[in-house]
Amino acid sequence: MIALIVRRGIQLVFLLLGISFLVFSSMYIAPGDPATMVGGPTATETDLEAIRDNLGLNDPFLVQYGRYLKHAAQGDFGYSYQTKQSVSEAIAIRFPNTLKLAIASMIVAVVIGIFAGLISALKHNSWLDVTSTTFALAGISIPNFWLGALLILVFAVNLQWLPVGGLSAPFYTVDGIKQLVLPAITLGTGSAAMIARMARSSMLEVIKADYVRTARAKGVKERNVIWIHTLKNGMIPVITVIGLNFGFLLGGTIITEKVFAINGVGRLMIDSIAMRDFPMVQGSVLLVATLFVVVNLIVDIVYTFIDPRISYD
Amino acid sequence: MKKTIWYSIVLIAMLVLAACSGESASAPKGSNESNGGGESNETFTYASTSDAVGLSPILMNDAVSANITEHVYEQLFTRNSETQEFDPLLAESYENPDEKTWVIKLKEGIKFHDGSPFNAEAVKYTFDKLRDPATAAPRASLLEPVDTITVVDEHTVEIKTKYPYGPFLAALSHTNAAIVSPTADKKQDLMKDPVGTGPYKFVSWTPGDKVELEANEDYWDGAPALKKIAFKVVPEISTAISMLQTGEVQFIDNLPTEQVKRLESMKNINIEKKDGTSVYYLAFNHSRERNQDADFRKAVSLAVDRDAFVSKLNGLGVRSDSVIGPQVFGFDEGADKAGTAYDVEAAKALVEKNGYGDEPIKLLTANRDNFILMAEIVQAQLTEAGFKVEIESLEWATFLDTARAGEYDMTFLSWSNVTADGSELLYPNFHSDNVGSSNRSQYSNPKFDELVVQSRTTIDQDKRLQILDQANHLMIEENVVLPMYHGIVTTAMDKNYTGLEVDPTGKWSLKNVTKK
Repeated sequence: MIALIVRRGIQLVFLLLGISFLVFSSMYIAPGDPATMVGGPTATETDLEAIRDNLGLNDPFLVQYGRYLKHAAQGDFGYSYQTKQSVSEAIAIRFPNTLKLAIASMIVAVVIGIFAGLISALKHNSWLDVTSTTFALAGISIPNFWLGALLILVFAVNLQWLPVGGLSAPFYTVDGIKQLVLPAITLGTGSAAMIARMARSSMLEVIKADYVRTARAKGVKERNVIWIHTLKNGMIPVITVIGLNFGFLLGGTIITEKVFAINGVGRLMIDSIAMRDFPMVQGSVLLVATLFVVVNLIVDIVYTFIDPRISYD
Repeated sequence: MKKTIWYSIVLIAMLVLAACSGESASAPKGSNESNGGGESNETFTYASTSDAVGLSPILMNDAVSANITEHVYEQLFTRNSETQEFDPLLAESYENPDEKTWVIKLKEGIKFHDGSPFNAEAVKYTFDKLRDPATAAPRASLLEPVDTITVVDEHTVEIKTKYPYGPFLAALSHTNAAIVSPTADKKQDLMKDPVGTGPYKFVSWTPGDKVELEANEDYWDGAPALKKIAFKVVPEISTAISMLQTGEVQFIDNLPTEQVKRLESMKNINIEKKDGTSVYYLAFNHSRERNQDADFRKAVSLAVDRDAFVSKLNGLGVRSDSVIGPQVFGFDEGADKAGTAYDVEAAKALVEKNGYGDEPIKLLTANRDNFILMAEIVQAQLTEAGFKVEIESLEWATFLDTARAGEYDMTFLSWSNVTADGSELLYPNFHSDNVGSSNRSQYSNPKFDELVVQSRTTIDQDKRLQILDQANHLMIEENVVLPMYHGIVTTAMDKNYTGLEVDPTGKWSLKNVTKK
């Protein structure tokens, strides 16, 4: 286990190096000058030149990248071109919101997804199965911005049960939970549908396995067959899906954050791209990549608990 | 036993999480009380679609930041939106001993939010910093004509300009010419922690989320009735409208054309529409040979049915042929219909005669606001007249660079004109000095340049009006650009509040807003 963590840690360093290079070069090549965005519409060429000098944008590519790496190695991820705020600070303000949203949506997704998947598998080809798979298909197909807007109209504007947007209240208060409900459902629906489909197919496969038939033949109670023999083995692919989805959600979810006015990492990233705020883009992408790798590592470790036959040593 | 351990773990986890989250619970709705007399302790929230960049008038240069700094700082003068004249604000009065000298008397007894006095030193400090090249202020050009600034006494400042400068009062009333507290500026970063003389004091800023201000109880013109105001970032306008409907925010502006009907059907809000100073125009790239042909520009102008386009804006656009809009200083009614009228048959004839349809036109557009709609309609109209038009739609940052570099045949540009002065529209956008920066249509005409310079260096405002009108007519008659429409300033506010002041430039003030 420790060897796995160390190995992944070393991989992560190289991965981040590669990603930072890719992001840096794509921002470098991309059209649109950061100096124009800082200087505004009235800036003259002299003004822009001064801004470029000031931001170090006139240096050759490798000098700029080298300087970035040197500072990053010391824990300094630079300052926003626009607001001059430190990148780490800007991310630190927004990440808790993204984390809250990701966890809440994952709870929605896992609860609904596994429940629906299980029912579908156990009542295979019944009306319950058809209903659940139909909803799963709809869940995957519905775009977030549409679902979000619809939920806002129904539950916030018309029924007034829940607030429209923001995540200002702490999550353990009633207001905090109320603020999380709609964005979590919006974001969790897609993942729930994926989990449901995966749980269904995986459970169907396991239910047909020989050892399940043996267990039934031995007279094990149906409840125990499902909960003890089937569920655990059926869950391995489901956990992979959960892990992948959670990794994506931690990267910030641009549309849901925008629709619900949530000050998260996804919005920071997309706004920074639009403003050509390179240090901010770089910082947020590296954070997202790191989280993705860490979540996947956790998933790999979880496998060993669910299926002791899996070993990384 | 096992269960008890689980419960303990869950409980501890919850406590740890609770402790980590240091925010205090927000007050439940309805817990705040109104003080009566129009005063309100409830937070009055304005929703904007993007965050402020910074809160120092010297260093910032964007409309969202300006909405906030306008409440924290003040200028020496302010434009009266009704009379269109410049009234003293922090100034008491001014006089011009000669055309290049402005002696400005300041109001006495005003203090900055940090307690330091507002005086001639503060004015000199602010203006010197704004025009110092080392500051690299984005709007340093406002004070470009200034030669010297002298403190005459505690409350009098004398400004000498290099040449007579006509729009000087407009420049001094610009958001970026607001006076900052020198003591605070030396001590702290005003971009994050602003200190001015305005009706509101800075409280906090959570980047990406909101800026909070509180009433300045010692405000020289009487404390404002709203005690707490917040500028909240709500990136989606439709979400902001829903929040306005549910009372989560009280005020929004810049209502998009496609949402007007929804807003008008809402019962708990008041919508205000006011003719504005902004102009949206179809620009020819004058560095391209084809566009230098007056007949070509005329053919395009004949082919574009601007009335048809404006009718698609749900009432949010003013149709006028004039480049200088009806709300801008320099407009004369004679310019209103002086342009090339729509006549598709005449356009077709010109296109056919001169073979304008042979080579395609690259119509560049930014993919935001009404620009795409404008591009699509104009493309269809030009095609009808026989032109070949290809739209190239770019996102904002790329668009700005492409337009600056002149890599297009025709494009759509706009100018909000915060000073509401015609010279401040014509000089940056069309004077040859600014080709390669703000003159994106690359227009260069010595005769026009001369008129614009005159309009800037004449102090007599009546004379300025005539000169600007001449320059305006020159542009309209030669189809230098094709004004598509002039903007309308729009706001929507909770019906329980009243007293909002909206200016044609798009600025607004919550200073006199009260709760009913």
